[in-house]
Amino acid sequence: MKLKQILMPTKVATYGMTVREVFAECGRANIPALPFCTKSGRIAGRVTLKNIMKCSCLPDYIIESARILGEEMSCMEDIESTAKQLLCVPVDPYVQEPALFLSSNAPAIKALAIMEQNDTSYLFVVDDGQYQGAVTIQCLAKMLIRLDQC
Amino acid sequence: MHGSAETATHIIFGWDPLWVSSILFVVTYAVIVSEKINRAIVSLLGAGLMVMLGVLNQETAISGIDFNTLGLLIGMMVIVSITKRSGIFQYIAVWSAKKVKAHPWGIMLMLSVVTAVFSALLDNVTTVLLIVPVTLLICHELDLSPYPFLFAEIFCSNIGGTATLIGDPPNIMIGSAVNLTFNDFLFNLAPIVPVILLMTLGILYFVWGRKLQATDEARERIMSFREQDAITDTRLLKQSLTVLALVIGGFVMAKPLQHEPASIAMFGAALLLLLSNLHRSPEQQSENVQQIFAKVEWVTIFFFIGLFVAVKGIEQAGVLEILADRALGLTGGDMTLTALTILWISAIVSAIVDNIPFVATMIPLIKSMAPTFGGAENLMPLWWSLALGACLGGNGSLVGASANLIVAGFAERSGHRIRFLPFMAAAFPLMILSIIVASIYIYLRYL
Repeated sequence: MKLKQILMPTKVATYGMTVREVFAECGRANIPALPFCTKSGRIAGRVTLKNIMKCSCLPDYIIESARILGEEMSCMEDIESTAKQLLCVPVDPYVQEPALFLSSNAPAIKALAIMEQNDTSYLFVVDDGQYQGAVTIQCLAKMLIRLDQC
Repeated sequence: MHGSAETATHIIFGWDPLWVSSILFVVTYAVIVSEKINRAIVSLLGAGLMVMLGVLNQETAISGIDFNTLGLLIGMMVIVSITKRSGIFQYIAVWSAKKVKAHPWGIMLMLSVVTAVFSALLDNVTTVLLIVPVTLLICHELDLSPYPFLFAEIFCSNIGGTATLIGDPPNIMIGSAVNLTFNDFLFNLAPIVPVILLMTLGILYFVWGRKLQATDEARERIMSFREQDAITDTRLLKQSLTVLALVIGGFVMAKPLQHEPASIAMFGAALLLLLSNLHRSPEQQSENVQQIFAKVEWVTIFFFIGLFVAVKGIEQAGVLEILADRALGLTGGDMTLTALTILWISAIVSAIVDNIPFVATMIPLIKSMAPTFGGAENLMPLWWSLALGACLGGNGSLVGASANLIVAGFAERSGHRIRFLPFMAAAFPLMILSIIVASIYIYLRYL
């Protein structure tokens, strides 16, 4: 099966887009990241939920001390408050290097192998420099179920 | 005549090995100090050039590598990387904070003492990596600036590390080069460590400790910490503590057992690797062992390897012999003056640059002073001076020790930047005080 048969079209993140919009699209499409595109539609990078949350909400010491956190702690209230403010800021500072791409004609199993090789659960599908959609490990699982039912 | 003739097989262009090795060493040292290029890369390049330019042949270069130091470092790194997975260190940090009913000064005192004890038994970097996150969390909940706590922990990690053979890399290097045992360090350095620790904590109490206040509500939040949740694997905890105790016991008994510390540490590491993998499938074992080996600080290990070869280069070329003669000329061959000079120079240099290359250079230099002082057995005051100076000197500035930089990094990422000059303004005088105490100790005990 080819990726074009299972890929999931999503919006892309662009300059000036807010964190709220990225979170909303990631939540809707059930995907942990979006490609970040220039005005010409060229992919310049990616924004991931994990990176945005880690960079802006979670200081290192909270991560290192995660297991001992109590139930009523002021640091958690502060983090929730920071997270709320974060929703309104532009997503630009959180852009990371571009993710792995595959063309829509690539076989689904190749996508699975590349995800495993790179310890990730999603890939972007790009044809001639234009973003077509994303493939997640959940998409691949659905595909396998469909194959079994055929 | 210097040793260069026997060891330099093809010194290029007939250059004088003394100059070639000196220039190579100074450039290597300068680039390490500049911190522009990773220190392991620089030291390996310096070592490689010592061989490529014919200052050393391969056999002599390898003979300069102290495998006892490397074995001890690697063995302890493996043991610590497995042990910390159990969560015991975080457990003790939180438990100690709750033991003093979350009183701010009590917490500062307890975490400082815990840091000193851990640093004596583990390496300083690991210790602060484990203690500092808990400290920042506690300070946040108490609504207090973490600076005094972090300052105290930096000092206590370097002071605690001074006490034992395994506490700080300079001690490992000195111990290995001079065949000093764990007990030698305990008997000679550990007695002065509590004195310096108490003096430091006393000063910190008057500067910051007595002013620290927290509300009952904030203290209640600390009391709600769940230290028991820090323990992730009870079986691993028991295995790790058993092996750690056996290894420490092995160090104490090293002389009667006639084993080198590296052998004990490596055997302990192998034993703990076995115990912590027994319940796993072969595939899981491979993955787990790879993860543990990845935690070994290979940058530090290769830095040491390169450095040992570079130092061997200047030693063989006779540079250190000349430097030792000059140094003895300045001190007039007087043991008291030489010991105190080494102590103070080590402390000041270690406050400014990495103490590892300095100690690596000083070891052969001090060894070559043996004839002047009537034999190697009479050099002991100089070794203890070097160890005290190099370890305590690390407190003089933010760049004095790797642990200091780790603490500063954590603080900055949590929004509490530790600035270089304000830190040094407080730390350097306090370090000097500790060196004054160390000087009195060296003078009264050995001179």
